[in-house]
Amino acid sequence: MILVNEEPLDWHGGMTVRDILRARNYRFPMLVIHVNDALIQKKDYDSTTIPDDAVVKVIHLISGG
Amino acid sequence: MKQLVIDFQKCDAGRNCEHECELECAIKVFKVDDPAQAALQIKAYEEGGGHAILCDQCGDCVVVCPTEALKRNKLGVVMIDKKICVGCYMCIGFCEKDAFMRNSDWITPHKCTSCGICVKVCPHGALSIVEVPEPAPRII
Amino acid sequence: MSQLVFDPSKVMDIDHTLRTEYLDGLEAIKAAHKVLKEITYTPSLPDKGYTNRSLYVNVGSLEIKEKPVTQAMKDVFIGGRGFGLYHLWNAVKPTTRWNDPENEIIISPGPVSGMTQYAGTGKSLVVSLSPQTDIPIDSNVGGFYGPLLKFSGFDALELQGKSDRDIILFIDGQKGIIRVEEAPTDPVDSHVLAEILTHMYAENEADLPNISVVSTGAAAEHSLIGMLNFSFYDRRRKCVRFKQAGRGGIGTVFRNKRIRALVIRGPKVAGDMNHPVDPETIAKTGIKYHKEIRENDPHQCMMRRNGTAHIVEIMDAYDLLPVHNFQYGSHPDVHKIDSSYWQQRCTQVTVDGCWYGCSMACAKGVDGLTVQTGPYKGHLVSVDGPEYENAAGLGSNCGVFDPEYLLELNFYCDTYGICTITYGTLTAFVMECYQRGILNKERTGGLELTWGNAAADLEMMHQMARGEGFGKIAGLGTKKMKEHFIKQGWGDPQLINDIGMENKGLEYSQYMSKESLAQQGGYALTNKGPQHDEAWLIFMDMVNKQIPTFEDKAEALYYFPLFRTWFGLNGFCKLPWNDVVPANNSEQPEAHKVPEHVQNYVDLFTATTGIKITKEDLITQSAKVYNFQRVFNIRMGKGLRLHDAAPYRSLGPVTKEEYESRAERYDQQIVTEMGLDPVGKTTEEKMALHREWRTGRFSQLMDAVYTRRGWTLDGVPTLERLKELGLDAFPEVVEVVKQHLP
Repeated sequence: MILVNEEPLDWHGGMTVRDILRARNYRFPMLVIHVNDALIQKKDYDSTTIPDDAVVKVIHLISGG
Repeated sequence: MKQLVIDFQKCDAGRNCEHECELECAIKVFKVDDPAQAALQIKAYEEGGGHAILCDQCGDCVVVCPTEALKRNKLGVVMIDKKICVGCYMCIGFCEKDAFMRNSDWITPHKCTSCGICVKVCPHGALSIVEVPEPAPRII
Repeated sequence: MSQLVFDPSKVMDIDHTLRTEYLDGLEAIKAAHKVLKEITYTPSLPDKGYTNRSLYVNVGSLEIKEKPVTQAMKDVFIGGRGFGLYHLWNAVKPTTRWNDPENEIIISPGPVSGMTQYAGTGKSLVVSLSPQTDIPIDSNVGGFYGPLLKFSGFDALELQGKSDRDIILFIDGQKGIIRVEEAPTDPVDSHVLAEILTHMYAENEADLPNISVVSTGAAAEHSLIGMLNFSFYDRRRKCVRFKQAGRGGIGTVFRNKRIRALVIRGPKVAGDMNHPVDPETIAKTGIKYHKEIRENDPHQCMMRRNGTAHIVEIMDAYDLLPVHNFQYGSHPDVHKIDSSYWQQRCTQVTVDGCWYGCSMACAKGVDGLTVQTGPYKGHLVSVDGPEYENAAGLGSNCGVFDPEYLLELNFYCDTYGICTITYGTLTAFVMECYQRGILNKERTGGLELTWGNAAADLEMMHQMARGEGFGKIAGLGTKKMKEHFIKQGWGDPQLINDIGMENKGLEYSQYMSKESLAQQGGYALTNKGPQHDEAWLIFMDMVNKQIPTFEDKAEALYYFPLFRTWFGLNGFCKLPWNDVVPANNSEQPEAHKVPEHVQNYVDLFTATTGIKITKEDLITQSAKVYNFQRVFNIRMGKGLRLHDAAPYRSLGPVTKEEYESRAERYDQQIVTEMGLDPVGKTTEEKMALHREWRTGRFSQLMDAVYTRRGWTLDGVPTLERLKELGLDAFPEVVEVVKQHLP
């Protein structure tokens, strides 16, 4: 189990940042993502795997007209 | 269209010359005695060789110019009409080759117009004006 | 969740230079013009962003005079919206209403406006007493009028009085002439009128871009929701286009004064006309930003391809896109009107900035639309947009998912002079009333206003433009419709009040705020009414959980409204602030504020005016004007806690269907937020629990926000706060507040 933006999400081995975005349907392109306080760059979303019990923050920048 | 090209087999990136091309361009075209204001800039790499910053007349700037101050002339060369230009510098920001330039003393930007003045003064004969097909405008 | 990729081969092959021509009658219309008053003046260019002159025109008495722009005005009000509010305050009394002669329309561009090197720098602000809210409304608008006004010599234009005939105010900033002309036979609707006037006042083809026209259309004469079109000449399309000062009915005030149009002929624009103190910094900052757009926009928001419509599918994915009058947040048919469609339908080979130097270029446009209904049936026209607000308001919120219909609605809103946001929200209300039997075919005079019935929707709009039938009632806006329906006894008053999405008399813009408490405040605790230009906090609050406590939310509702007010003081557009970000933005502390861009704004202001400021000063500058506006509202008999109340639809589920459509979420909240067990409870019981919890926390939010803003719990700025901001220098301001302090 991991925490994504304060809410639990089932964890599985080999889970990547991209998997989290897919699971949560986070489609917005302007994101700032930290996994256990480490900043993950956009180019690494597919390659960064998430450890179990991770605390993930997917900060969506401000949008809306 | 007319395009200025440089042959780095012949050009040694300024190691064996006085940057005559830049100086000639600055003096003759822009009437300033400062090669840094020339429309082509020859840069040497520390590890040998080098590159040139110059306009290949790709036309991206024509697409982004809000006032149609940038247009191709009969030779296909992209020319700026300073009377129409509003100095927005989008041409500079959108040039992938950094070939559009700005001088702090002028409001309007400038670039190489394939005039060939530099070609004549290159001691190594590395510069030439060639005729190449005009690329189709891109959506930028 | 993969991001949309632009495919140039899919862009529809439409000739963007082809459209119905309207210039045939030009000579006859011109011949009918009669000069009522003409004066000469000496045009001047700004110095450090200011011309230090403002122009006053009384369209009734035909008095035309100049007023100085004083240092004290600049110190407190900066320009733009600040100048508008200052002039309006001096023009009106607490008893003044929108249609009194002393009400004004003020247009002011702000000191930075007219800069050509940075994106979004051609804005002007329009301020007036609103026919919908009876308090000041402010609208931030693009197009060329504002910058050309300043380059013709004026930091602001005040229009007061009422004419007894249709007039045009012409300012010739090249020759130094100001003229009021009677315009008896000019066409009414903007897309015809502005095209004709642009050609009438331009001396030759090269002069066309120096002309800008402010106009409205037929609906502004018969409704309270009229908007103003600010034109700019599109050299590639070879036609006049518009940006809109939409909210609050300023177009209605304009026509009530019998102004047909404002026409300006400015000098030919160059890159240094503001005479900034530090052009080098402006050039470098502008070029840096242009490069950022070139490099980042294609894989961030794609503003250059889609404009603001890029978020249609995003809002849908997060359950935030208003559907069926804000009942739901997503719909299976949204793909028909999302940006994957618009980027094929919009013309892409053009330059779409609404002022020079806007590399963000979000003013997308659709060409080759053949109109199917109304007075322009059969005409081939171009439409600006659709912007997000139009796709959501005219589209999903009313259940209209046919893009060609949506474009026609957008076209008629523009040319008739109707605010698309207001129209979308009030029509969604009308359709829900129809769904729930509050309205029926008899009460609407035959209009079957069912969800998605775009033909009936268009007919209602045509009626609004003709001042007939149910369209005329709808044109009064949601607040007055609610009162009317309740008075007629057409339905349960509480239901009608709950689902009519207005606050202070202004319709909500197009975002679902039910699951974001901070955004509920972002809408309802605004100065002019529920528009997202003060704060858009939904992601921070609902998705990111960045601002969990009341204090956190209050801080966001302190900072962002002030930060964003500043754009309107200076003539900036908000979009370039956050719809692209630097590549390293994610590494910055407070990435959501886009720190590098905030610094750009600080630098551009200082480089223009020579006044050294910090990012903290920027907030203080705004706070002066923001609090002045709050006091102005109080002076007009509003502006207190009770006027900040929100319709329940914006706070939570009003109906059983709404609750049950998101039952899992709402049941879960009963457990986690209220500590209760939903099992065994009826939907009605659970809805009641939600209502109590949601209205209670909204009230707590008000307390926290008012406290953070330095206001009493009744929403009145305290004397200490006014003193802190230097507003105690205005005895009238202090006097207004004193009457409301305990």
